[in-house]
Amino acid sequence: MNQPAIDLEEVKKTYGKAVQALRCISLNVDPGTKVSLLGPNGAGKSTLIGVMTGLIRPDRGRVRVCGVDPIMESTALQSRLGVVSQTNDLDPLATVMDHLVFQGRIFGLSRKTARGKADELIHAFSLEGERAKKAKALSGGNQRKLHCALAMVHDPEILFLDEPTVGLDPIGRARFWSTIDSYQNRTGASMILTTQYLEEADRHTDQMVLLIEGQIHYEGKISAFKTKVQASPCSLEDRYVEWVHEMESLQGPMRRGDAQ
Amino acid sequence: MSMGALLLIKRAILQLIRNPSAPVSGLGMSLFFLIVYNEGIGGIGFLPEFGQAGYLAFLFPLTIASLAMGSSSAAASSLQRDLQSGYFRRIYLSPLRRYAFVLAPLVADGVGTLSMTSVLVLVGALMGIPFQMGFLSVLGILLLSFLWGTTISAMAAGVMIRSKNHQGGQMVTMLVFPLLFFSTTFTPKELIGSEWFLRIAQFNPVTYLFEGSRFLLAGTASAEYFYLACLILVISASAATGFALMGSKRILA
Repeated sequence: MNQPAIDLEEVKKTYGKAVQALRCISLNVDPGTKVSLLGPNGAGKSTLIGVMTGLIRPDRGRVRVCGVDPIMESTALQSRLGVVSQTNDLDPLATVMDHLVFQGRIFGLSRKTARGKADELIHAFSLEGERAKKAKALSGGNQRKLHCALAMVHDPEILFLDEPTVGLDPIGRARFWSTIDSYQNRTGASMILTTQYLEEADRHTDQMVLLIEGQIHYEGKISAFKTKVQASPCSLEDRYVEWVHEMESLQGPMRRGDAQ
Repeated sequence: MSMGALLLIKRAILQLIRNPSAPVSGLGMSLFFLIVYNEGIGGIGFLPEFGQAGYLAFLFPLTIASLAMGSSSAAASSLQRDLQSGYFRRIYLSPLRRYAFVLAPLVADGVGTLSMTSVLVLVGALMGIPFQMGFLSVLGILLLSFLWGTTISAMAAGVMIRSKNHQGGQMVTMLVFPLLFFSTTFTPKELIGSEWFLRIAQFNPVTYLFEGSRFLLAGTASAEYFYLACLILVISASAATGFALMGSKRILA
């Protein structure tokens, strides 16, 4: 049997004394699966991504990504992950080409391979005209494209996409998803997506995890989620809003900002 | 050392070349000290306590120490810039070992310090400062400058990483700066009248840096000072570097 791409057991994370970002998260993601991590703002999605990528140390629980602990064996694991975080995290003084070649080199590619890969990604993300521009001179959308391209330089086994298309225009989003989908189909990489654009989750992933106030409220197929709430064929967004409202009414008003 | 670490070092050196304000201002400050103090109080250089080479050679170690301090603030600034821009998060999510993030700007600072000290040594030589053992003296001066600069640079970087605040790094320079003056900075110990001042100078590591340098320049101090300076500065530079590198695990904590 294949090792799970992600295996979380009773993971907890608290900020300070009062903010419980993750309450007791257990999650299993099979290799090659495309999962959307959904939830309202402050539900703990980015914290969970941080825990899975080794950026955030959980207070309790067991975390395994590709079978290894992301904190203890970070350097071994990172070459297998591609991460698009919410912020662009670019060197303002380096050019688009410099970023991509440097990223390839630190992931162990030869100079020639890194340059080839950079050209390929510049084309895939329509950044041809920006190749020699410094990051600080790029528009917000093009910075986002570059940030996404950087996550794919080294052909990762798991892509973590934390609100990847924020700031992209519709053409840019379509192009981004076309690149991601063809990469995923070609390599069979797993994908963990957080997004507030639910049609993206519906269209590009097949599983979903609904996180509210640091707890998982639903885990399974998106199609099953839609029929679970109401039998008639509606959009995921309709079902999602309905479900979250129901959860809120059961739990009382949600404390926005309670989780990071 | 891995290829990735070397790439980070190359990037840090290129950044320093693009933004050389720290080493250049360090050199400027040192030349200012050299000229102003020599012109202002250099007339006392005829006293036998200053030896044959006069006041300029006596003053020269102050300029080396202040240059190394001035040009060693770039690492903390560079680390802070990368933290602020989020660039560290990107590097963190790579297979590079964490220590390399901090080591790279420290190495760049070392390169900057050595380059500017070389320029200062050249200026000093043109002004007539003697180097009693020739090229060996120059190497000795570069070694002391490098070790002193690394101590300051690594301490500032270590504090900056822990405090997540560039001012934390600047505070190190501010705290160390008075040490340059509680020492045999302007006059040899024979001409220092105050007992408490002499006592502080005796325990001040900068005194050994100054006297060790004077041994290499005009030979107005004994070789023991140079050896002691090397020992003290190797210990302080190693401890400070260890302090900074250990902080690499806390960069994004």
